[in-house]
Amino acid sequence: MKRQFIRAKDHGVAGCHTCGQVVVLGSHQQALCPRCGCAVHYRKCNSLARAWALLISAFIMYIPSNTEPMMYTSSLGQQGADTIMSGVLYFLSHGDWPLALVIFSASVLLPLLKMIAIAYILIMVQLGSTRRRIENTRLYMLAEVMGKWSMVDVFVVSFLTALVQLGALTTIEPGPAGLAFAAMVLLTMFSAMAFDPKLIWDQTE
Amino acid sequence: MSLDAACSTRITGQVSGLYVCHACDALQNIAAVKPGAVATCVCCGSTLLRNPNGGGERPLALLIAAAILFFISNIYPIMDIKIAGIEQSTTLTGAAMIFVELDNHLLAAAVWVPGVLIPGIVIFGLLYVMGSIQFNLGFPYTKNILVLVSRLTPFGMMDVFLLGVLVALVKLVALADVILGPGFYALMSLIIVYAATMSSLELHLLWDSLDEKPSSSLE
Repeated sequence: MKRQFIRAKDHGVAGCHTCGQVVVLGSHQQALCPRCGCAVHYRKCNSLARAWALLISAFIMYIPSNTEPMMYTSSLGQQGADTIMSGVLYFLSHGDWPLALVIFSASVLLPLLKMIAIAYILIMVQLGSTRRRIENTRLYMLAEVMGKWSMVDVFVVSFLTALVQLGALTTIEPGPAGLAFAAMVLLTMFSAMAFDPKLIWDQTE
Repeated sequence: MSLDAACSTRITGQVSGLYVCHACDALQNIAAVKPGAVATCVCCGSTLLRNPNGGGERPLALLIAAAILFFISNIYPIMDIKIAGIEQSTTLTGAAMIFVELDNHLLAAAVWVPGVLIPGIVIFGLLYVMGSIQFNLGFPYTKNILVLVSRLTPFGMMDVFLLGVLVALVKLVALADVILGPGFYALMSLIIVYAATMSSLELHLLWDSLDEKPSSSLE
């Protein structure tokens, strides 16, 4: 079943990342796309090193984003701090399990799964594996699109903060986890973008 | 950086032509893609090229609707809440600006840029490019704007913003009287229209249409 396909790189051509134009590169490593003016390469530069660096940074930011408080509430002199997990447990204790599931999967599970997926693909490429290439390519595409949904809690906090400013009665203020979260989401997105899925297909069988 | 444009030659044609899969680098020739059909990579199955129904008119109509809804959802309040006689309301931008007031500028940017600014640039940028193509207006810098739009699109998080609004809504209903504003309904509609716009647009085809006209922006 192993059909051989023509790889553009072997024929000295590359596709422009921005506009899809097929560009003849030959022995050059880089050229400007004649159509959109963007740089065209055979493969993204230093793809693996950049993807790993961004992924590790994202993982470091994942820790404070889940342990630090997401927001501080003060209600009639009572102070409270909410982390992501305490928010999830709050919804669970009120029997609101669909919402608890949304928050838990978007903020805790999804980023972790995404980071594991990228790390797995990076390791497979570095080991020169040729197994399950189609599945790994799909996994990469999935990891690329689902990353942004983790931002949902940052938006929730911004909305609650803007609305619940009732002086002495109740106020909500953002905690340090918000920024850590935003950084984590951006770093995982950059990491996925730095990786070049064509590397999955570069090992010859 | 030594860039060499001299060695590059144009190969692609119109809807059909030579394509390189962005996922697996397989070089393949695509015969004409019928309207509504999708060309997938023979090697890895990724989508190479779509030819959405409705030609250029449908995405343009949807973009105009999206632009109007974008204005409404940003000008009018998303929701009002009432707790013990005190009323508060916020717009989308207001939800980010509260962080500026609290001196947390980075967090304000983290909310406003993906939630409001980037979707705005994408909608109005595409409107500009599509308008120029559809009515043969030959606007300047269309190629540069299309490059900008395709770079920024992954960072647009309007749909995530809406989910955030919905979660906040559920949290607030327990505490206060909540009245949904016109902005909320506009935002809901905008997400649907925006999704429809994106599925009726194929950027490869836009690039091909821009090619037919004399290059107005580069060099």
